[in-house]
Amino acid sequence: MSDSHTIPLPQRKRLREKLYKKHNLANILTHWFNVGMWLMLLPTGIAIISSPRLGLSPLWWQELFRNLFGSTANLIRFHYTLGLLWTFVLSFNILVGFRRYFVPFATTRMLLDKDDIEWLKIKPLQMLGFYRGRKLPPQDAYNAGQKLYMYVVILGTVSIMLSGIVMTFKTIFPPLLKQIAQPVHWVSVGAIVAGLIIHVYMGAIFPEEKEAFFSMFTGKVSAWYARAHHEKWYRLKIKEELAWEERVEKEMAKEVQHADL
Amino acid sequence: MKNRYGFVIDVSRCIDCRACLVACSVENNVPMIHTRIWVKDSGVKGQFPGLQRTFVPYNCMHCDHPPCVEVCVSGATYKDPNTGLVLVDPEACIGCGFCVEACPYDARYLDEARGVVDKCNACLQRVEVGQQPACVATCVGGSRLFGDLNDPASEVSMALKNARSIQRLDYEANGHDTNPNIYYINGDVLESGFLPRDPRYNIAEEGWKKVLVPAIFAGIGASFLVQATYFTKQLVEGEKEFDE
Repeated sequence: MSDSHTIPLPQRKRLREKLYKKHNLANILTHWFNVGMWLMLLPTGIAIISSPRLGLSPLWWQELFRNLFGSTANLIRFHYTLGLLWTFVLSFNILVGFRRYFVPFATTRMLLDKDDIEWLKIKPLQMLGFYRGRKLPPQDAYNAGQKLYMYVVILGTVSIMLSGIVMTFKTIFPPLLKQIAQPVHWVSVGAIVAGLIIHVYMGAIFPEEKEAFFSMFTGKVSAWYARAHHEKWYRLKIKEELAWEERVEKEMAKEVQHADL
Repeated sequence: MKNRYGFVIDVSRCIDCRACLVACSVENNVPMIHTRIWVKDSGVKGQFPGLQRTFVPYNCMHCDHPPCVEVCVSGATYKDPNTGLVLVDPEACIGCGFCVEACPYDARYLDEARGVVDKCNACLQRVEVGQQPACVATCVGGSRLFGDLNDPASEVSMALKNARSIQRLDYEANGHDTNPNIYYINGDVLESGFLPRDPRYNIAEEGWKKVLVPAIFAGIGASFLVQATYFTKQLVEGEKEFDE
């Protein structure tokens, strides 16, 4: 953004109006389905963990939910029924869209490159107040922090699902596995929640990222925003656009030649 | 606590017939390989002709401060505020067995077929309709007594008043005081074979408490601090839209 003042007004206007597609509908729907499920699963999950030795949830919270659902067993039933639905829908989406959505997403948006490593070296120190003047390397559709968090989310989600299944189907799995599943379930949720605090802040509250928030509904961001926050991705988009223009021009030329003949 | 149900066991009257075990298992559908209650045996002691042998009927002590409840992650094991009994809700229990290891009296077992933990519930289904637990109703020698310890006129309170000696197998160590609700009268039960053991916490539970909880809370705390700093900055400096 540091060079934004050098861009003349008409161009600036054009960049603000021009939109690039960042998220497809499948991603948007899956994201908000995930949000809804987390909003229901996280509070009920916290309410279930009542061990006084661990002391992980306040008594009033446990009692609120136990009274709301009528009993401990009902609360647990609600939690695992919803959890199974969540597991089923996410697994189904990934499997069905594996080649069309997941593989391209994983290969073009999740892999860390040299710039990302550089970003990871500078950004945390900048947040602590060092390297103030240093410019961050250009970022992809997602920055290196987001990419790292994606790995935490994917691994965490898989381990939440597997450990949840172990605890739900209690007659199938041996006691030792059920013992291990409980801390694994909790720690995976905890790791995701730690990042979630920043994810929600950056996505919904942080003013500079407002476009990112709306893009989670419309799927689109302005060229201006893309240029400022995701320069590498923006350049890629321009390249794609130029290639497209070239292709169309060639086709047009061919058609004209055809017509002349 | 409205009622404080408990057992009074007259050790001098137990002859180890084990009718209580059978009655309990039948009443509560206990699988053949398990029992909810036991009769412990001191073995023959002393020199002839002064021989002695003590039989100690044993089941869940329905402690006031039960270590099993302390470790139960889901609240499936709980101290019922109305009866004072320590109960298991099989619908909420996943049968992980943390409580089985934590109980100093080994009063619980894992029913792997049903995927739950099971133990003495003082036949609450009978007590609620005014009957005695199956083990008490069937005890020919009248060794087992059951009732409300808060009620001074109850059979158990009267038996305690008239007892020659009263003992409890209290576990008081490592920050615990179980305060059990089985009172043994008219005999000596404070022998090594009958005494409670230390509660056991396995690595999954202990590691969770000692390593994972601090680690995750540190992570969540750090993350919260970062967003709180940025949010405060945003409030103090005013909002800057990305394009201004």
